[in-house]
Amino acid sequence: MTRITALVLTLAVALTATPALAQDTLEKIKSSGTLAIGTRTGSPPFAYVNKDNQWVGFSIDLVEMLIKPEVEKAVGKAIKVEKKESTPPTRIPLLSSNSVDLIAGTMTDTPQRRETVDFSLTFFYTGAQFLVKKGSPIKGVNDIAGKRIASQQASTNAKILREKYPQAQLREFPDQPAAFQALLQGQVDAFTNDGIQLAGLRSKAPNPGDWEIVGDFYSEEPYGMAMRKGDAKFKAAVDAGLKKGFESGKYFEIYDKWFGPKGELPYPMTPQVKAYLLKQIGK
Amino acid sequence: MNYTFKWSVLWSGQSGQWLLQGLVTTLELSALAWVLAVALGILSGALRTVPFRPLRWGATFYVEFFRNVPLLVWMFFWYFGVPPLLPRGAQDWLFNHGAEFWAATIALGVYHGARMSEVIRSGIGAIPRTQFEASLAMGLTTFQAYRLVILPVALRLIVPPGTNESLNLLKNSSVALTISVAELTFQTRQIETYTAKAIEALTAGTLIYLVLCLSIATIMARVERHYAIPGLISRAKAG
Repeated sequence: MTRITALVLTLAVALTATPALAQDTLEKIKSSGTLAIGTRTGSPPFAYVNKDNQWVGFSIDLVEMLIKPEVEKAVGKAIKVEKKESTPPTRIPLLSSNSVDLIAGTMTDTPQRRETVDFSLTFFYTGAQFLVKKGSPIKGVNDIAGKRIASQQASTNAKILREKYPQAQLREFPDQPAAFQALLQGQVDAFTNDGIQLAGLRSKAPNPGDWEIVGDFYSEEPYGMAMRKGDAKFKAAVDAGLKKGFESGKYFEIYDKWFGPKGELPYPMTPQVKAYLLKQIGK
Repeated sequence: MNYTFKWSVLWSGQSGQWLLQGLVTTLELSALAWVLAVALGILSGALRTVPFRPLRWGATFYVEFFRNVPLLVWMFFWYFGVPPLLPRGAQDWLFNHGAEFWAATIALGVYHGARMSEVIRSGIGAIPRTQFEASLAMGLTTFQAYRLVILPVALRLIVPPGTNESLNLLKNSSVALTISVAELTFQTRQIETYTAKAIEALTAGTLIYLVLCLSIATIMARVERHYAIPGLISRAKAG
């Protein structure tokens, strides 16, 4: 359970007064033969456990197909990818304590987080919207005063609502399934999250047609992969993997596999998003 | 380890205010749940020892059912499972008036009541049967014997394990964050969201729990000494 994990990690880190020796991530991967990633189990299609009980997703594919080859090149041997569950409250402690080397899920790259961790190139771009019952009076962020709004704890969306829209009654849940359940049952009037994640949840609802995603993006959410701060060699390998993916078009093939018309969650990439992604590699 | 500690996040910005709010919510939740747990515990603990089988069975059912299901499940049960049984209007009213908090209070109180019940039953079990028989022989009814003789002694006997159970209740109140109650652990995560300084925030939370639990333990130790019956549990004063 995340609460326990978080506490154990705190104790492990806080009580062992001497921090673990600064270790080069590539060295660590070389000696263990494993790239440990922290990812999600319930965030389709980025990372989730599918019907066949396999742990798959877009973020995981990016690691397996684009980043892993670059890391292998850098350490000079074949490695395997080990997946561990990470959630918003646990992902930074997991990195700091060396339990994982890379967070590959749905983590938004923010200036505050950059003070603690480093981010890769942006691999997905979305923004916060609302999931509501069809016909709801909520059409966007300006209609939420006095309404009960579910959000995910420790997410950037919750922070924005609390600061800029204090009239809304915010209810924060630790994971998406609980927040979505609260919406299905009427505990809350809307669930706010990154648009793409809402689309993923909606597609899994018993009757997707009963729900709609409304509102313009009221936040910008560029997703990046997080790693321990100041490890330039490892970051270079991760970025090289993504960069090559953008250049060769492999990234867009993977995108299509998950978000294309036949993908898990059809979500065509807008020209703006494509331009944003390519701008990172100077195109 | 590439982690720079920055403890100032705990007193800059709104962190202090959040921790205080979380602390108040944790205390409110725990205090109300504790009252419920003790009431249910005394009632069902006593009923498990009375010489009337249906009452014993009822109490046994309560204890075994509620203590053998994880607390997290009870949180979800009282928050997601119970409200749909009410009319829609009542549901909306509840959801606008802190349904999360009350669901968490009931979940915590009923769960710990079942555990408290066993503590109280063992306290009653430690009293020689002859005391009960002597009470009846004096002309007291069963209810009077329990109220005037058995329970007052049993409650003194169970202060140490009762304290243990109360501390568990306080710490378990953190599970309420799963149904969006903004208690102490929730607020430590909040600080992490704003500052990305998880270790500092969780350390602050840990220390607050530690101080709370130590204070309660100290108070209960005094209560134990004050109400000790010479010769029964207080070895230091015996004789």
